[in-house]
Amino acid sequence: MESIRVTELGKTFRLKRKREGLAGSVRSLLRPDYVEKAAVEGVTFTVRQGEKLAFVGPNGAGKSTTIKMLTGILHPTSGHAEVLGLNPWKERMKLAHCIGSVFGQKSQLWYHLPPSDTFELMSRIYELRRSDYVQRRDELIERFDIGPHLHTAVRKLSLGERMRCEIAASLLHRPQVIFLDEPTIGLDVVVKQRIRELVNELNREEGTTLFLTSHDAGDVERLCDRAIVINGGRMIFDDRVELMKRRFLTHKTVQLVLHEEPGSLQMPGVQEQARDGVKLTLSVDMGVTSIEAVLSQIMAAYLLVDVTVEDPPMEEIITQMYRTGVHEQEEGVG
Amino acid sequence: MIALTKTLKYVCIGRITLRNQLAYVVDFLVRSLFLLLILYIFLQLWQTTFAGEGAASIAGYSFRQLMWYLIVTESMTLACPSLCTRLEEEVKSGDVAFKLVRPVNFIAFHYVEYMSEVAVRFCVNVILGGMLGLLVLGPPDDMTGFLWLPLTALGGFTLNFMLNMVVALSAFWVEETRGLEFVYNKFLFTVGGMLMPIELFPESLQRIVRWLPLQGIVYTPAKTAVAFEAVRLAGMLMAQAGWIVIFACVALLVYRRGVKKLNVNGG
Repeated sequence: MESIRVTELGKTFRLKRKREGLAGSVRSLLRPDYVEKAAVEGVTFTVRQGEKLAFVGPNGAGKSTTIKMLTGILHPTSGHAEVLGLNPWKERMKLAHCIGSVFGQKSQLWYHLPPSDTFELMSRIYELRRSDYVQRRDELIERFDIGPHLHTAVRKLSLGERMRCEIAASLLHRPQVIFLDEPTIGLDVVVKQRIRELVNELNREEGTTLFLTSHDAGDVERLCDRAIVINGGRMIFDDRVELMKRRFLTHKTVQLVLHEEPGSLQMPGVQEQARDGVKLTLSVDMGVTSIEAVLSQIMAAYLLVDVTVEDPPMEEIITQMYRTGVHEQEEGVG
Repeated sequence: MIALTKTLKYVCIGRITLRNQLAYVVDFLVRSLFLLLILYIFLQLWQTTFAGEGAASIAGYSFRQLMWYLIVTESMTLACPSLCTRLEEEVKSGDVAFKLVRPVNFIAFHYVEYMSEVAVRFCVNVILGGMLGLLVLGPPDDMTGFLWLPLTALGGFTLNFMLNMVVALSAFWVEETRGLEFVYNKFLFTVGGMLMPIELFPESLQRIVRWLPLQGIVYTPAKTAVAFEAVRLAGMLMAQAGWIVIFACVALLVYRRGVKKLNVNGG
């Protein structure tokens, strides 16, 4: 069964073009010049119920615009979309009862009040029966381990604690589809991991469809089965995350702090990206070697003070996609 | 049952906004000190005017009535939050998305939020202004009109919300709405009867002003409170209610058109 069906969806914004200088500003006032910018163009895809989809792309690619159209906030310029059989922009209020959304960069919790108050408000907004609400709230408190923070003013919570409360608040009404827009932004590694586990658990146990956008390749890798990559408003990739990883997530970035300044490192599959005294940034090609092999070799020669291993940012993966010409191969995606 | 659930939803939004606003009570108290300053200036001005006229009343208002009139109008005006600033910021920051993605009526949500804030601010202003009035002027001659104040003020604040909402919703198109709000406020201060009762205007201006919705905002509550006329009350309340209905419809129409044009920023 399909949760989301999108056909040739497009959104064009009409933007005022500012001319340079004071004279230009005056001219713009008298005779404004508009340009049309296509934020999303001909996007077509479907998402099955219970599927975990990553909708990724660089800044300005059209991800958030698509989410806003699918949640009914924005009206599209062209095309059609159905979420749970409803037209989002025409049946927004009806759809709102069945979907949830978390915007990592925005807070829905009331700043001066404890999360328990927002929970109470959400239960009223979503018109939940008292017994259902109390049962669900207690279940989420336990699952998200937010009991100790429930009665603390939101302004006094850490980002990680707040984010767990944000997600729990979005799940009170048992949404069938949840839109997660950068849910782990700004969180530390441990909290990110915890949030990912919780979201996975939710999908497994309740069959909730996940629609995730993130700049963090780790979110995509650990949370989703399928990825759609969008760039310049157009879809350039739609396939399994496993395939995307194999083809494009081939490198990891290793940052090292050594006890002494290292000499030149010559290892197959390892490329030096930056060097600043005892600090070294390496790009490791996972298809040629492994992190373990690289670290063993370095530790044999130098005393290691600190090490971090990171996935390349989404922008880099997309650059890689373009470098390998995926946009040409996948022209007909969707 | 459904109607009750839906009403409860907005009652709950109002309650939580009220609780959130209580965090700002000290801020409101400090702001309300400005009310005392304005009232002191008006006190001096009208004292001089009455002394110059050498009359016990001007256009039917005694000095004490006029000062109590100003306490009501100023307490109401300073209690109104800037809806334009709020909507403008919501649109610019993209926070408007949160309101639109929930099963709540956008205008009703803002109304209960606005009225809860108004309730806290108005109470603070009325207490401070009332204390000043009692200390400097003594109690009003007739308290009958003040019994109607909760109802007429509710109508006044509601009408002000609807008019402000129409102006603020232009943020869905232009993002910058403070200029329009500035002009609106200046009309309210002058022809709206905030600075003086409409009866003090020249006859020709009075005839125009009586056809404007602005008189229902602060003039109707203040006039009813300090110069109560039972025969005019029903007409004034009906005019207030009529304007509320008209501008509620206008706000709804503007909202329906605007939401299609909306360009949600951020993300």
